[in-house]
Amino acid sequence: MVKIWDFIKNHLIPIIAVVVVAIGVAFVGASHKETTAKAGRTPIVFWHEMGGPAEQALDKMVDNFNQSQSKYEVIPQYEGAYDEAVQKIIQSHGTSASPALFQSFDISTAQMMHSKYTTPVQKFIDEDHYDTSDISPVARSFYSNKGQQLAMPFNTSQPVLYYNATLLKKYGITPPSKSPSYSEISRVAKELYEKSHHKVKGMTMEIYGWLLEEALANDKTKLINNGDGHQGNPTKINVNNPNTVKFLKWIRTNIKSGDFVNYGSGASAETNEIAAFLADKLGIFVQSSAYIGQLTTGNKNKLGISYFPHPDGTKANGVGIGGAALWISNDKPEKVQKGAFEFIKYAESAKNQANWQVATGYLALNKNSQKQKALQNLYKKIPAARVPGEQLASAKPNNANSGILMEGMQLTRELEETAMETVYNGGNIDGALTTANKAMNANLTTTNRADKK
Amino acid sequence: MSITLNNVRKDYDSETEVLKDISVEVETGEFFVIVGPSGCGKSNLLRMIAGLTPITAGEVKIDDTVVNDLPPKARKLTMVFQNYALFPFLSVWDNVAFGLKARKLAPDDINARVKEALKMVNLTTLAKRKPRELSGGQRQRVALARAVASDAKICLMDEPLSNLDAQLRIKMRQEIYALQRKLGLTLIYVTHDQVEAMTMADHIMVLNDRHVQQIGTPSEIYQNPKNAFVAKFFGTPQINILPATRSADNNHMINVSSDLQIILSEEVPAEKLQIGIRPDDMQIRLAEGVDGNAVVKNTEFLGDETIVYATLNSGNDIHVVMTGKVDFRNYEPIKVTANSNLMFFDANGKRIDISKEAYVHA
Amino acid sequence: MLKSPASDSTSAPINRAETKAKIEASEKAFSLNAKDKYYALLFLGPSLLILGIFIFYPMFKTLYLSLFLTNTVGKPTVFVGLSNYINLLTSADYLNSLAVTMVYVLAVTALTIALGLLLASLASKKIAGIGFFRTLFSSTMGVSVSVAAIFWLFIFNPSTGFLSLISTWLHLPAIGWLTDPTWAMVAVIITTVWMNLGFTFLILFGAIQSVPTTLYEAASIEGASSRFQFFHITIPSISPTLFFVSIVTLIDGFKSFGLIDLMTKGGPTNATNMLVYRIYKDAFYSGNFAQASAEALILTVIIALFTLLQFKVLEKRVNY
Repeated sequence: MVKIWDFIKNHLIPIIAVVVVAIGVAFVGASHKETTAKAGRTPIVFWHEMGGPAEQALDKMVDNFNQSQSKYEVIPQYEGAYDEAVQKIIQSHGTSASPALFQSFDISTAQMMHSKYTTPVQKFIDEDHYDTSDISPVARSFYSNKGQQLAMPFNTSQPVLYYNATLLKKYGITPPSKSPSYSEISRVAKELYEKSHHKVKGMTMEIYGWLLEEALANDKTKLINNGDGHQGNPTKINVNNPNTVKFLKWIRTNIKSGDFVNYGSGASAETNEIAAFLADKLGIFVQSSAYIGQLTTGNKNKLGISYFPHPDGTKANGVGIGGAALWISNDKPEKVQKGAFEFIKYAESAKNQANWQVATGYLALNKNSQKQKALQNLYKKIPAARVPGEQLASAKPNNANSGILMEGMQLTRELEETAMETVYNGGNIDGALTTANKAMNANLTTTNRADKK
Repeated sequence: MSITLNNVRKDYDSETEVLKDISVEVETGEFFVIVGPSGCGKSNLLRMIAGLTPITAGEVKIDDTVVNDLPPKARKLTMVFQNYALFPFLSVWDNVAFGLKARKLAPDDINARVKEALKMVNLTTLAKRKPRELSGGQRQRVALARAVASDAKICLMDEPLSNLDAQLRIKMRQEIYALQRKLGLTLIYVTHDQVEAMTMADHIMVLNDRHVQQIGTPSEIYQNPKNAFVAKFFGTPQINILPATRSADNNHMINVSSDLQIILSEEVPAEKLQIGIRPDDMQIRLAEGVDGNAVVKNTEFLGDETIVYATLNSGNDIHVVMTGKVDFRNYEPIKVTANSNLMFFDANGKRIDISKEAYVHA
Repeated sequence: MLKSPASDSTSAPINRAETKAKIEASEKAFSLNAKDKYYALLFLGPSLLILGIFIFYPMFKTLYLSLFLTNTVGKPTVFVGLSNYINLLTSADYLNSLAVTMVYVLAVTALTIALGLLLASLASKKIAGIGFFRTLFSSTMGVSVSVAAIFWLFIFNPSTGFLSLISTWLHLPAIGWLTDPTWAMVAVIITTVWMNLGFTFLILFGAIQSVPTTLYEAASIEGASSRFQFFHITIPSISPTLFFVSIVTLIDGFKSFGLIDLMTKGGPTNATNMLVYRIYKDAFYSGNFAQASAEALILTVIIALFTLLQFKVLEKRVNY
């Protein structure tokens, strides 16, 4: 027995001590993120996915909120990319590590709704008699279900069409109209390509499911049944419809005439198309309005912006939004949830939304923001920056342009993108869409079965 | 096929000279042994003949063709390495066939040659084994078989027996010798073992300190060494080399470390010299009265002879081989004498030619 | 030897008892007494605990999940038996992933080994300044996946990239390195091979250096050309190393993730949607934990098969 004690004393205890210290150091190192509030304040942990300049702007907004009152302290924590954050939020729910307030992106709306892990903000809107009419209706409708507001839209963007106005002028090309049609864009792209002696590519359209969905929204076409999910749980997807074909045929035409350049998908595609655009190697591209800042700083050319293009012979229905909303977890006490809503209200104010647009390029959701000095200054400097806000304001919400309220949108987008890639690389449009449709419906069936719906 | 080296030199850089002025002729069918202490450059010389190491100056000729710039394979020779250089992943058969396959010989020809070579070294039954499944002697035989199969008329061997135990070494020595004679090979054999050199060689080349010390038949080398180094290198036990001076009173007399005296019929050619006496050319008897000139240190009984180690009064150690069993006790005073079979060297070890008739032993 | 007093009269039974005692003692040497068991537990306990928590539990959980459908929040809801597996193995999409993974893994392994061998044998030559090239050849060993990906993304950039500049300059048609399904695979393979090369070079170089030079000397005397020497001495001599590196590269290829995520995200048209990347996307993008679990287990089986193959072959070939 003595021997064992010696062994423990001489070997085991030191080893355990080292392990304990190491684990301790690791914890201390990991917990540099503050999670406790100052005395007397209710802490509200806020998970978000804003990186870079947007994170700085958000931190500033949070600081201002914390200084503006003394009841709550919002503690922002960056959680990485949207896609991964969704799983973190869901898997941490009900634990002490979960957030009280979180930002979650557009296509996770149905998932968040089905998880029943959140308190719909409608509850607090009703309790506070908060007037939402100043907030963009098309943005609100994206995060609502059967008239109930689930979350509040926060960072919001819309796809717009960017063009190099200086280049068009140089080659004597008439720029596209404010709300251009497909053929109008094809004309400009082709002229630019030809007149520059193939030095400048006419246009690109990123392989991005969001853009395909927006094309359908602008053509007043619903991707799934039950009013794109806003009137009931969807049971059927119809991606292989004439209007998707119309959109892809338009792109195919441009590919064939040589003026179209394919940058692929994902973040690198966006980096590459912007780099090419700024280097005068690309004339037109469709992308999120959030890129305005990046496209104006250091750009010697004049930036042109118009609405998302619509098919010839139809009127633009207006596009839906992209971005993310603020959600309130239901695993925290009432007091905390109320505090979270206080922050949401603060974030949606005219002033804060105006500053937010100036700092990040995301669109100001509060219609009173347009009168704010910060935004007025921006428009004076960059007149084109007015266009995305006008597009947002002009859209009348309906089921087709209020987003697709369906679980599994990440996978659906992937399948859309695979179909787009197939078409971009010369594949058969109908075949690509049939394949995608089949896989999407199979996934939907499985999801509904798993959710017992 | 004969091999001629003319003034071959090897430097690794301007500072390090490895071999200098090596000239020798090896005749066709000769068993030629290069011997010397380790580090004397003998393996290097062999590699230069093989073409594995380039020479710095001079020329190497095979059958009157200068081969200085020819690659090894063009020199039509074969080589057995100290570590045998067997391919561990090939069977005995394939090891022997390796070079033949590399030279793209006809399969029938290869079969016949390998079979014959293996038969010659008694390895036929082990043809399918891998080298790691063989004993040291068997591996050695595979290396020999490879040399045999190659059909080259010149064979180079680099210390081929040094990895074997004493018993096996004697056996393999005989086999190599028999093989060389049977195939009529011109064999250049490098060793540090003077016994191997003495027992197998037609001619021996003694290398030391970058230079050729002597080239000759075994008996020439043993009986007529050109210098003290060669004299010491051959013969077991080693020759006794004792310092000597010309007597101040009599320039016909040599004092060998003040214990022995030699009288020459001619004048002693140098003031300081060295005398070499083979251990079996000395005699010992017990001292009578005060005539002892040495003290016994130790005796080793070897059966047919006894080696007596003694210290001369002058302090020089000697050893003497006596036939049969001799009984001397340690510290016993003795009288040492030598017969007339003496060798004379100058102070630098160079042999001085003094004819046997010229000296009278005292 | 001491004898007990009782043994004087009847020695035979006592001897038998002694023998028995000896046998028992020797048996005891192979069984554990209480103290030994205590020690065994003390030493094994922590590792069993760690293995249990971090290996066995996740493995069983994965197996369990793969037999269910998981709902919105990742909880298993409907038991479906093997149908996740059946769906996967009959889905063209998954079979495509399996196929592209195989193409990728085999191409990467073959090219890595071939180029590594080429560089290693070049570096084994005694040429002036070879030390510089040895360092250069092994330099990619210190490059992380993200650095490699960014480096090559620059090169593959369709408008400003090095390769596109060259093709413009030579008036060759532009290649959509990361947007064309075929070329994207090529681009990913090139990048992976480039990354693998440093390590492979170093290992193969070491192996080549350890082949005794006398083997080559003997062969060159026997008349073997350097080509013959390479294929009949170098290759067989380093074959165990070659095999080891191949398997390591192969298994590494199956596990390739970071590069795919940074360069192609599995696209275009799933052309580079490797098994591991798929698992990640199905689990952490789509939240389909059940299907991801099934995919993980299939991948585990595949890698286990290759590992088994490695052990079997290496066992046989360890001494050539």
